[in-house]
Amino acid sequence: MNAQLWAIAVVGIVVLAAAGLEAYRSARARRRVTGVTSAKAAEPYIIYFTGEGCTVCRTHQEPALAKLGEVRVEKVDAIADRELADRFHVYTLPTTVVMSAEGRALHVNYGYAPANKLDRQLAEARNVLTMERTATA
Amino acid sequence: MALTTVDHSALKVNQTGIVATVLVAFIGSYFYRPLLILIPLLAVVLLLGTFAPQLALFKQFYFKVLKPRGIVKPRPVQDRPEPHNFAQGLGGVFLAISSVFLLPLTVVGLALALLVAVLAFVNLAFGYCLGCQIYFQLGKRGLIRA
Repeated sequence: MNAQLWAIAVVGIVVLAAAGLEAYRSARARRRVTGVTSAKAAEPYIIYFTGEGCTVCRTHQEPALAKLGEVRVEKVDAIADRELADRFHVYTLPTTVVMSAEGRALHVNYGYAPANKLDRQLAEARNVLTMERTATA
Repeated sequence: MALTTVDHSALKVNQTGIVATVLVAFIGSYFYRPLLILIPLLAVVLLLGTFAPQLALFKQFYFKVLKPRGIVKPRPVQDRPEPHNFAQGLGGVFLAISSVFLLPLTVVGLALALLVAVLAFVNLAFGYCLGCQIYFQLGKRGLIRA
């Protein structure tokens, strides 16, 4: 059993490292796309990349987005709108991008993002908005 | 870059087959070591299936048995088959490397095989295909014709 346990430990470390890299990639993509979407809004909103063949989009992501309540969700067909998808380095569906009201990408989630995660990111985006408004007032 | 129709159910069956085989080899080898032979066999199946789709065991099982009997419903999707084939081939290569290590360094061999199973499971459950992503990245850098 020793070999099996060690193998599980090794894979665990690799998976954790991959998760770390993914977080880094997401952060880098977020920095790169800052300012590319100039659409301003009153409130933070979500760009939701999906595609016809994405089952997880239908079974998980869309119900999660529906749970968010009154949040603007811009649905984008990643296959049809390749240019926008490329800007956000979308190679995985679903991908959700939490945008600030100023049109800056604050969080890029590759793969399924549960409602509580999106809620947290939106709350963060609203805090940024409040701080910016306070600073300019 | 042309989109064609890809039956995603066949891909899911393939991924299920990979996960199941590796798990049987991984857990079973604790009780009966010769079960490790399943890993090189799986490598052969995946590599053969990559270059000759008619030899892809799990996909053929889907097309010849599961689909005709209505056990698994087809899900044709406008997609490119190349990234999925590349991912399968990559899995096969990793399993082949794993097979080389199984006897001299069992931990490394088992870890590589388990990694392939984890990635197949992630693709199956969450639709995240790391192999496809590598394919797109290599294509973007001009290393392959994506």
